[in-house]
Amino acid sequence: MNKINDDILFRVEKPARYIGGELNSIIKNPQKVDIRFAMCFPDVYEVGMSHLGMKILYHIMNKREDTYCERVFAPWPDMEKLMRENGVLLYALESKEPIKNFDFIGFTLQYEMSYTNILNMLDMAGLAIRASERGEDDPIVILGGPCAYNPEPLYDIGDLFQIGEGEEVIDEVLDLYNSMKGKYSKSEILREMAKIRGIYVPSLYEVEYKEDGTIKSFWPKYEDVPAKVVKRFIPDINDNPYPEDMIVPYTEIVHDRIMLETFRGCTRGCRFCQAGMIYRPVREKKLPKLMEQAETLLKTTGYEELSLTSLSICDYSDIQNLLFSLMEKHKEDRVSISLPSIRIDAFSVDLIKEIQKVKKTGLTFAPEAGSQRMRDVINKCVTEEDLLTSVKHAFEAGWSTIKLYFMIGLPYETLEDVVGIAELGEKVVDEYFKVPKETRHKGLKVTISTSIFVPKPFTPFQWAAQDTMDAVKEKIQAIRANIKDRAITYNWHDSMVSYLEAIFARGDRRLCDVLIKAFEKGARFDGWSEYFNFDIWMEAFEECGVDGDFYAYREREYSEILPWDFIDIGIDKEFLIKENERAKNMELTPDCRLGCKLCGINVNFKEGKCFQGAVCNKVR
Amino acid sequence: MLTLKKGSVSKVRYVIRFAKEKDIKFISHLDLMRTIHRVIRRAGLPVEYSKGFNPHMNLSIAQPLSVGVYSKGEYMDIVLTEEVAEELIINKLNDSAPPAIKFLQAVRVPDAFPDGKKIPQVASIIEAALYTIKIKYDDVERGYKDLKNLLKKEQWITIKKGKKGEKEIDVKRLIKEFKFDIEGDSIVIEALIACGSRENLSPELLSSYIKANTDAVKENSFVEVERQEMYTIKEGKYVSIASYFK
Repeated sequence: MNKINDDILFRVEKPARYIGGELNSIIKNPQKVDIRFAMCFPDVYEVGMSHLGMKILYHIMNKREDTYCERVFAPWPDMEKLMRENGVLLYALESKEPIKNFDFIGFTLQYEMSYTNILNMLDMAGLAIRASERGEDDPIVILGGPCAYNPEPLYDIGDLFQIGEGEEVIDEVLDLYNSMKGKYSKSEILREMAKIRGIYVPSLYEVEYKEDGTIKSFWPKYEDVPAKVVKRFIPDINDNPYPEDMIVPYTEIVHDRIMLETFRGCTRGCRFCQAGMIYRPVREKKLPKLMEQAETLLKTTGYEELSLTSLSICDYSDIQNLLFSLMEKHKEDRVSISLPSIRIDAFSVDLIKEIQKVKKTGLTFAPEAGSQRMRDVINKCVTEEDLLTSVKHAFEAGWSTIKLYFMIGLPYETLEDVVGIAELGEKVVDEYFKVPKETRHKGLKVTISTSIFVPKPFTPFQWAAQDTMDAVKEKIQAIRANIKDRAITYNWHDSMVSYLEAIFARGDRRLCDVLIKAFEKGARFDGWSEYFNFDIWMEAFEECGVDGDFYAYREREYSEILPWDFIDIGIDKEFLIKENERAKNMELTPDCRLGCKLCGINVNFKEGKCFQGAVCNKVR
Repeated sequence: MLTLKKGSVSKVRYVIRFAKEKDIKFISHLDLMRTIHRVIRRAGLPVEYSKGFNPHMNLSIAQPLSVGVYSKGEYMDIVLTEEVAEELIINKLNDSAPPAIKFLQAVRVPDAFPDGKKIPQVASIIEAALYTIKIKYDDVERGYKDLKNLLKKEQWITIKKGKKGEKEIDVKRLIKEFKFDIEGDSIVIEALIACGSRENLSPELLSSYIKANTDAVKENSFVEVERQEMYTIKEGKYVSIASYFK
């Protein structure tokens, strides 16, 4: 076994990805800890280092004296080739030691197209890909993150899954492990882990299928293993541990700034949105807490930019006060504040006007759908008038670059609806020319982007069929044909990637073989167009005798047992069904703050208090 | 030396010598710049910013290092808005720096020479740099003999690829001093070569010339390069940048 060395590093692109040693990275003596944890992100360094969840868990685990948590990212293919040629096993950035000998290997599941990278990383670590083939002494592979809400396609990859927010449960897992390590077998440890709320151990469950391919039943093999796995969440995020410092990479990463988490959850209830359901209830951090965390992080990182993160930042109950307080406090240190997402209304445009007084980069809005009918179907409570008023304000305030995000292939969508996307783009251009020449800024640029809708578990659309690739192609053509103005640029996503996402998002255990087959055929970095190879995937489906259309294109009955039904996110299935029925009738379901919509979160979980920490629960 | 009234906002210039250590030799010049900016912000030094829409720190690194090269003789110019004790600057910076960046020495630079002439920026006075270059060989004795013979050649002609295309240059003319020895399986070269805006020879060009013109070089091996110090010419002699400002 060889260690990483300069003879390899000088031959790869961006070697800074592989050297560690960054400001605020944690160096411990491996001899002085009981537990070694490899925290892996299945994508390249610049992407993985931008992920907030990993920073939080890194901080929490390293606070423990008995644990050393280190980082691992997917080596880019040029690095992979040289590591394999030179017999270098996948190593952790801090100690440069192979993760094969660690106690835990954790992966975060952020998007389906990173799954082959997980397999590749396990393989590069010198471990068997299948949990069932790994030995007693091999590390426990633990998977978490949003895609863990349907863990089944990875059932034989991870030894255990962690469902929901990880801050508390990770400590429970590590404590239990430390008390059993060396005294009990791995299977005994996993059996005990399964009793922790939020932990799913797939090897302790059995599934049986009907002749038509749907699930007949799903049950735990033993009596002491819970039939339902209940998600974890932190009732009050004010007391939640938050990093006092964050690693500051040498090389530029995707989100190269402080990320300050302001709140969790969202009350809007858009019917396509998984995050809007799984992160309920809404919980806010109080303003003094945020001010304190911002100050500490600015001091410890030296960053000049701070981004307020959440699902829909303008919905923070005290947003105006927060923004102005931050700006006032840090104006001398030249700190800029950014809002990653803004709502489509004049209030939000005014807010962003305040923080971008000088440099007006582009403004991004997400109407999500082109016609009012479709926006009602998906419960995006935004009207055309809202959008046009917002862009008018923006043009008057000096912006001239507008980006508009849409989805196509939504349930119950017609060709007419998508043509509305092009028409809306044209109307935005008209608004620009209505603003007097002296007021508006030169160089109008409107970018329309469409992605293809992927139905996700735990949403009202979890039963829906994905639009076929042919239908999607036709819709993209229709949009292109209806864009007349030269100020509009149109970008669209590849339908093949979305097809695979739809399969894995709602897949069952039979997809695990397909995944392994595709990996063996060379699939990796599927989220990167330069490496994505659809033919490999089609071959893998064929050779495994699995029909992708069954998962992507089939509309499910409400009575069907879905692969993720054993997970309890606190939202009643009846609520999701009701929302899907309302979608068919284009009925809007207003924001939770206008009255409880009885989704079940605050009833099913007694600690689930909505608007915890908020100064008010009114919609502006 | 010029002294300032306490509390008055003004420009106080410092030249700072620092090291980019071996562990981070693979980070680029831009990465190093960005990191130093953040170190200075963390250190809370009263650094001066330019005016205008996009203010930036009044800081410049004298001579960029290539990816893969490390150094204990780096220099930067920095302007503060008030006088800070040299030692305090170094302590604050080191407390705020990642482990592989070390700040070694700060020198307060007056605005002008006693005769009123402006004191130049470090970047504009550099004439030469001293490097240690380690090249690995399969047969180091043979490489040593070849290099000895190579030195007898009048000119070392090679192709330099620049922004304006390729150009033929004589590497040897740009070498001021050249010593070499065997160390394990490597030949270790100590070379003082032209550096700066007037004439410049990159250590990579020098080492690739030697690799191409000696036998038994180990294939696919990394050539270790360390910059030891940078020099200017004072009264006809090479003097280190630190001693020039001291």
